Amino acid sequence: MNNLELIDVSKSFDGLKAVDQVSIGLQKGKITALIGPNGAGKTTIFNLISGFIKPDSGQILYRGQNMVGLSPWEIASLGIGRLFQDVRVFSRLTVLDNVLVAFKGQKGEKVMVAILGRGKVLSEEARNKEKALELLRFVGLAEKASDLAENLSYGQQKLLSIARLLAAEADVLLLDEPTAGVNPAMIGQILKVARTLAEQGKTVVIIEHNMNVVVEVADWVYFMDDGQIVSFGLPKDVLGDPEVRRAYIGL
Amino acid sequence: MLAQLLANGLVTGCSYSLLALGFALIYFTTRTFHFAHGAVYTLSVYLLYTFFNLWKFPLWVAILIVLVISAIFGVLMDETLYVPLVKKGSSQLIQMLSSLGFYIIIINFIAMLYGNETKVLLTGVQPTYHFGSIIYTRTQLLILITTAVLVPSFLLFLKKSKVGMMIRAMRDNPILLQSLGVSPRQVRWFAFAFGSVLAAVASSLNGLDVGIDPNIGMPALLNGVVGVIIGGVGFFEGPVLGGLLLGLLQSLIIWKTSARWQEMVTFIILILFLLFRPQGLLGYKRRTEETGL
Amino acid sequence: MNYLFHLLVMINIYAILALSLNLLVGYSGLMSMCQASFYGLGAYISTLLIMKAGFGFIPAFFLAIIGSVLLSYLISFPSLRLRGDYFVLATLGFQIITFAILYNWVGLTRGPYGIPGIPSPRFFTFSVDTVFSYFIFTLFIAACCALLFYWIGNSPFGRSLKAIREDEIAAAALGKNIVRFKITAFAVSAGFAAISGVLFAGYMRYIDPTSFTLNESIFILSIIIIGGTGNLSGPVVGTILMILLPEILRFLKIPDSVAANLRQIIYGLLIIIIMRYLPQGISGEYKFE
Repeated sequence: MNNLELIDVSKSFDGLKAVDQVSIGLQKGKITALIGPNGAGKTTIFNLISGFIKPDSGQILYRGQNMVGLSPWEIASLGIGRLFQDVRVFSRLTVLDNVLVAFKGQKGEKVMVAILGRGKVLSEEARNKEKALELLRFVGLAEKASDLAENLSYGQQKLLSIARLLAAEADVLLLDEPTAGVNPAMIGQILKVARTLAEQGKTVVIIEHNMNVVVEVADWVYFMDDGQIVSFGLPKDVLGDPEVRRAYIGL
Repeated sequence: MLAQLLANGLVTGCSYSLLALGFALIYFTTRTFHFAHGAVYTLSVYLLYTFFNLWKFPLWVAILIVLVISAIFGVLMDETLYVPLVKKGSSQLIQMLSSLGFYIIIINFIAMLYGNETKVLLTGVQPTYHFGSIIYTRTQLLILITTAVLVPSFLLFLKKSKVGMMIRAMRDNPILLQSLGVSPRQVRWFAFAFGSVLAAVASSLNGLDVGIDPNIGMPALLNGVVGVIIGGVGFFEGPVLGGLLLGLLQSLIIWKTSARWQEMVTFIILILFLLFRPQGLLGYKRRTEETGL
Repeated sequence: MNYLFHLLVMINIYAILALSLNLLVGYSGLMSMCQASFYGLGAYISTLLIMKAGFGFIPAFFLAIIGSVLLSYLISFPSLRLRGDYFVLATLGFQIITFAILYNWVGLTRGPYGIPGIPSPRFFTFSVDTVFSYFIFTLFIAACCALLFYWIGNSPFGRSLKAIREDEIAAAALGKNIVRFKITAFAVSAGFAAISGVLFAGYMRYIDPTSFTLNESIFILSIIIIGGTGNLSGPVVGTILMILLPEILRFLKIPDSVAANLRQIIYGLLIIIIMRYLPQGISGEYKFE
């Protein structure tokens, strides 16, 4: 059923309810869009799922297990991947290193193994390098492998982030405004990647302001305003909802 | 015995208050870990030595000149050392390290010019005063009285005056300050000028009490910083309280163990506060994103 | 000629120290003011084991490293969750506390009187007791350490450290246990610093706490600030420069009374100039920013 689920989640900051009794179901193999005006609480929802913020009440279930209380790195290791609004690539690392960092369970991340088990580490590195290049080919960044991440364009950095998430074996991909600030040609590429990932069975969630993107790619839409889910359903139904349109007039 | 120790601790606490308050003024407003505060501390008292002991100025004249020079020096230091870095967008780390470099330069200049030996400013036996079982020298009383007058007035000044409001605004919300048309740079001038004067007052008083050597700056600064952390980040009353408490606390440590463990216990207390009550006794917990990494 | 070898010995010893701090500052992005503590702990632990407990040099060498690593957890476990400037303060506190213990626990360490008569390192029948042989000895150890740092720096461990340095939140979002990485980096750094301490004790054959003060920590920090961090050449270049600088002053016939202060003034000036105009140091890769 639902791969990732929020049940009656609430969070207040300084007395202000940023997220108010929100329940959301996210399914494998589908792209779910989370839309709403600025300040509606969408990024807060992502922060709650990723564990950077703890909810005041409610549950966040991933494959049936409640993740509330786990730290961000633990949640990420379970398979929840995050594309940040401000991308956050590792600027002074190469594109290839950015992806290599993300692989899970690297033996070479233990210092003693790095020193005493050089042979094992080197062969693991060679294997990971192959996988990394393949991922970079998937997102179309293979020729940039030895460039520094900070030298990529904004859109390319977003693609790099997605490659990273795949290297980290993310099962759920939380993409925060994946097409914002990206040139139109690149948008097509990002959406193609998102579609392919959903087809591969991943759970893709996007926060979007671009309604064309939502219409084009989303299987299911949640509309949030003022911390609450106001409407949800198929894109054409939600976007045709007069209440939703009213909330967006100010956009 | 304990009473005398606590009485001495009160005096030390007074000078720590001055140091903590001066450091806090600069740290809360500019967010720079101003190691060079220790340099101002040392420089001012050596200037006092020069004017008073070497050039035979009357004491009050010498002190006045030193205070003025410290204020100017503080502002110049900010302008030449920190402002160019802030303009470049340098991190606090870079500013802190530059501050450290500056401290090293000033201290060693002083050592080169004046030598490393301890110098005494007031020679001869000090008149003493008895209060029950407690004995204070005249200089110690001077420290107490000066602090008791200066600190509350200054805190009041910070609360009521326009400059004080600008400083407190910069402490709480620097962005708002700019929208009110106040230049943060000017507020920095005030912070550095006042802060440096407070350091100069502390070092002059201490110098008159126990003498000087080129290395007094770092321990004084560190005690001031511990005072700020213990007392509280966010209000200026915090550092004052913290400094006084630290002085008294150190006396208690000396009473319970011995003088040689005093520094170690001070820093164990610092670490305990950093771990369990980083906002200090009076401070409030700032609402930061609970990143729980 | 002997004096040249003496300088080279000191360069080897300090190069290991600089590389150890580099792992913390340049790779992990952590500023520490207590490197001299681990330097001193290495010196004292090995010396006490050799002289009071009759250990041989090699076991004492490794036990000093282990001891230093274990003691590093005392400060890293509690403090690595603290934010930036509070962490620095905590390391400063640790530095002062360790010095106070070394200085005041006279029963164990002889405090300010120091420990004289430390034997040169002995390997079975062979004793490293000339300046020249000590130079070869420290060169060998320093080269091994450099190789280890190279392996560590280029390993997945080193790469993850750099990622954490670049963006902690992004690294956490990729499943990296930030605190565990930092604690490990701190421990490794402490272990290598202890090696320098053991070498120092065996060379000077006398140690006292005044070699391991806050000033010493600041000196080690200056080396990597000026020389550069984030790679291997920065710390080494910095070490060579900072060790030879006093000799250059002496060569220029600057009187000794002034030389010590002048040297420090030059360090201070270099720090300020580097911070302002050359944040990656003379030969480093990672810019403080």
